[in-house]
Amino acid sequence: MSGRPSLWWIDWRLSRGSLVLETIGRFLYLCLLGFGLLSLSLSGGASRFLAERYAITAVLRAEVPPAEAEGLARKVAALSPVRSATYRDPEAAWKEFLRAYPGLDPLRGAGGNPMPGYIEIRIRPERLSGADIDLVVAALRSVSRVEQVLAGEEWLPRLLRAARFATWIGWGLLGVFLAGFFLFARLQERARAVALSGDFAFLADRGVPVGRLAVLRAAGAGVSGFLLAAAGTAAGGGALLLSLREFPFLERVIGPPSDILLPRTVAAAVLFSCGVALLSATSSLLGWRAARSGRK
Amino acid sequence: MIEGFRLGVFSRGATLWDGLDFAFGDAAAWFVAGPPSSGKTLLLSILRGERKPDAGDVVVSGESLYRGNAALARAWRASCGHVPEQTVAEPRLTVGDLFLRSALAGGGMRGGERKDRADRLLEMVGLRGASGWRTAELSLSERTRACLAAELLRGPKALFCDGVIAGAGIPWREMLWGLFRALAREGNTVVLAERTIPERWALSSGDAEPVGPFRVYRLPVPGTAEKGESG
Repeated sequence: MSGRPSLWWIDWRLSRGSLVLETIGRFLYLCLLGFGLLSLSLSGGASRFLAERYAITAVLRAEVPPAEAEGLARKVAALSPVRSATYRDPEAAWKEFLRAYPGLDPLRGAGGNPMPGYIEIRIRPERLSGADIDLVVAALRSVSRVEQVLAGEEWLPRLLRAARFATWIGWGLLGVFLAGFFLFARLQERARAVALSGDFAFLADRGVPVGRLAVLRAAGAGVSGFLLAAAGTAAGGGALLLSLREFPFLERVIGPPSDILLPRTVAAAVLFSCGVALLSATSSLLGWRAARSGRK
Repeated sequence: MIEGFRLGVFSRGATLWDGLDFAFGDAAAWFVAGPPSSGKTLLLSILRGERKPDAGDVVVSGESLYRGNAALARAWRASCGHVPEQTVAEPRLTVGDLFLRSALAGGGMRGGERKDRADRLLEMVGLRGASGWRTAELSLSERTRACLAAELLRGPKALFCDGVIAGAGIPWREMLWGLFRALAREGNTVVLAERTIPERWALSSGDAEPVGPFRVYRLPVPGTAEKGESG
């Protein structure tokens, strides 16, 4: 035997059965939270949905040659908030118009194609904000070849505000669920600390410092919380991946499956796991303290 | 050597005892007999470093338990075994759990080794195959012997037993007599606190040293000096 008691995972050594059940419950809950976290992180709340549907249209003057228009589209695409900028020549614009309003062919007969060419600009979901849209619109308006910029500036601020609220609600719900995890974990930790109080008193009676016991239990809870959160997020990510493959229309709201492995998504998962570890350790300490104060 | 100097305890608004001196030499088994409510349990907890006396000090191997280094006091407690008076049993625990937590207090032990040693110790105290039994289902005698065996798992340098002889019952006295003498012969210090000393033990131990409300006996250990040191 070594000189100092090995107190790592002491709850596991003393009470395996109940800890297994707790761990399974926490893992399932964290799978759900991981799924929610990744969905929110990828979708950016309502941003991806809006960005999928929103486009800025830069109507070009009639005399702009196609090559020059293509070059302009490339320059616009190079702007940082822009996801894509596609030039549509007058002929393509006319076809689109007819698809939208069938039966208006006679309009062309009078004086040729009345539709001008235009550039359709789509914004990156994470850059869909008033400031970034203003930046793109200002850049387009400064170009003499652009006759008109249609950016929906009358209704866009309201829409962006609504999207922001929706995003806050999404993250708020995740926060509520996380707080629920914390409260439930605290109750579990307290119940376990009460159940094992005889063992802890035994150890304290035999020279094991109570503070060290509490800190090592909290550290164990933190490490297991991190691993559980990481595993839960991975499982949640797997479920999300399957959902996106099974229901492709979800990609418009959440994003493509490949985005799950983007560095920022992984960073969010790691940050989430660290947060869960911190909450687990804190709940262990609070549960321990509550159990001890309850005994006095 | 465990020494208590001018020990005093004030309890329930009165002096329970004061100015008591004790000296429990190493490699010996000591028997402290005292009437009910005389403070035997309190004395053991003071000697183990768990409860600070209201007066006086306890010195172990030249180091003060209460006025010296706290780490030394903890190390002393870690090296002690303690079998408390058996009152209530935790319903959750099995006899095997007693050995598990004793092993944890001793710094951990591999499962196989713990099981082997636990089986041997349980057999020694007449509880063969009791590992899976719930402590709440044991008799007082069985629980006392199981707790004693679990404490011995760690090989404590000093063993404090509170009411173990009475708790174990008459049929087990001879076994305990042999066990404590064997422990003392191996260099351990055993301190027993009981209301009365079995007559044969008292006869073998010779005259007791009166210390306050207590009578302190040194049990004879073959091959060692048997002169009493307390008082």
